[in-house]
Amino acid sequence: MDDGHLLEIRDLTKHFGGVVAVNRCSLVLAPGKIYGLIGPNGSGKTTLFNCITGLERRDAGEVFFRGERIDGLKPHQVAHRGIGRTFQIIRVFPELTALENLLVVTREPFEVAYRRAQELLRFVTLDLLENEYAGNLSYGQQKLLEFIRVLMRDPELILLDEPAAGVNRTLLNELLAAITRLRDQGKTILIVEHDMKVVMGLCEKLFVLDYGEKIAEGPPGVIQADPRVIEAYFGR
Amino acid sequence: MRWAVLAALAIGLLLLALYPLVATGYGIRFMLQLFMWVALAQSWNLISGLTGYVSFGHVAFFGTGAYAGAILVTTHGWHWGPASLAGGVAAVILALIIGYPCLRLKGPYFAIAMLGLNEVMRVLVSYFEGLTGGGSGLSLPTLHASGQIYYAMGAAALAVTGAAHLLITSRVGLRFMTIREDEIAAEAMGINTERYKLYAFLLSAFVPGVVGGFFARDQGYIEPISVFPLLTTITMIVMVLFGGKGTIWGPVLGAVTLFVFQELVWARFLYLHQIFFGAIIVFVVLLMPRGILGVLQERYRLPRTI
Ligand SMILES: Nc1ncnc2c1ncn2[C@@H]1O[C@H](COP(=O)(O)OP(=O)(O)OP(=O)(O)O)[C@@H](O)[C@H]1O
Ligand SMILES: [Mg+2]
Repeated sequence: MDDGHLLEIRDLTKHFGGVVAVNRCSLVLAPGKIYGLIGPNGSGKTTLFNCITGLERRDAGEVFFRGERIDGLKPHQVAHRGIGRTFQIIRVFPELTALENLLVVTREPFEVAYRRAQELLRFVTLDLLENEYAGNLSYGQQKLLEFIRVLMRDPELILLDEPAAGVNRTLLNELLAAITRLRDQGKTILIVEHDMKVVMGLCEKLFVLDYGEKIAEGPPGVIQADPRVIEAYFGR
Repeated sequence: MRWAVLAALAIGLLLLALYPLVATGYGIRFMLQLFMWVALAQSWNLISGLTGYVSFGHVAFFGTGAYAGAILVTTHGWHWGPASLAGGVAAVILALIIGYPCLRLKGPYFAIAMLGLNEVMRVLVSYFEGLTGGGSGLSLPTLHASGQIYYAMGAAALAVTGAAHLLITSRVGLRFMTIREDEIAAEAMGINTERYKLYAFLLSAFVPGVVGGFFARDQGYIEPISVFPLLTTITMIVMVLFGGKGTIWGPVLGAVTLFVFQELVWARFLYLHQIFFGAIIVFVVLLMPRGILGVLQERYRLPRTI
């Protein structure tokens, strides 16, 4: 069943009561690329992330990662397979220090983990704040901390739910550079983002959700001109 | 600094070890109860301070250990030492049985379930009269062992404080804390929260069970209401909240402060004592949710590992 895809989603469906949050959604990610997932508010982007990572149980459909079924696994098992994610609403561990937020998520020997954590903190210019409680950091700093916390585990696939929201210009550019560098290292990134400039500049391919359905996919230039996408965004 | 702290600790321990040589009977009993409260508060901190799962029925483990220990002593002729360790094992087994279903409950539901556990245990113990003496209690053979129980309680308090130190300064303890901080994020970051919760729960049940056995031996007589009182759980909670939950020395600080106050001043005014307790709960919850050590840590930027 291994056909070179990193992630394959088949006919994934998720209801919340009467609401169909994700509707027979299928998509395929190849390794080493940056993908975008866009769609209006409430179109099911976060729910799709939750179904991939095991935080929500899908109602129907399948998810394959490196050729193996991962739907039905617990979130920590999905994480161990090599999928990392950030959250739309920040979820750092507020009463652990920045450094502890990183150390706690790996099982590497302490020395190795410590060196890696310091490198990552320097990478997002948080190194002077390593002993600060995460809850005391600014909003943007917490977002960056959550981002490097994912990198601590060195996942193959990284799901980012609106990583740029609330991050200031300078840090944003660093963040985007970091994402590109990860891609160059062979990682695969799927990013939910409302800022079209960010999406267009970064992603090789976009998936568009509307009412939980995938209504289009393709390179950014093509997607921008797609009448169904324009309709979904502006036509109501 | 580090050496000074270690030296102070060593001297303190030495003085406590020598204390029975000069102490009165009252002094020894005072101290062994103090050790008991340190051990209980510290145990409660392991599950509730670290993982945030607030247990309102922790005295169930104490009572279980007390009965298991007392039964082994009276009907099987065990020495109270091994019998109390067996009491600890019994408490862990109880924790294992109820941990699976109860630790799935969130927030107040877990707290209430634990409260229910304590009531159930008390009723069960009253019901199985043949084994436990039922409502009329269980008398242990007369033995004057306060001196030995002093050391046993002290060792229990020391052991669980040492365990807290090892945990809180290690990544295992940090993983316990991620459950308190954000269970969903912890899971998404690859931490098996169900397993770590259970570990914390089992750890937190053992010492109360052992200490329950010591308590039964020390009292010489136990009955359901004397080893399953809700007030004991509440006292553990207040001690930890007062001293600083999730810290290493907070439970010790809270237990010592409140126990000394209770014994020396307030025991003479029964009702005032209860009002005082209630006032502390309100005061801590409203003004000092992190307890004394928590406030000091924040104000003076001390490391958490205190
Ligand atoms: N836990 C839940 N319970 C009930 N309904 C939910 C739940 N989570 C999401 N929904 C609903 O599912 C739909 C999809 O929500 P989702 O959060 O996945 O959208 P989104 O594309 O991430 O939106 P946004 O851009 O605002 O973040 C919405 O109608 C939402 O109200
Ligand atoms: Mg969303």
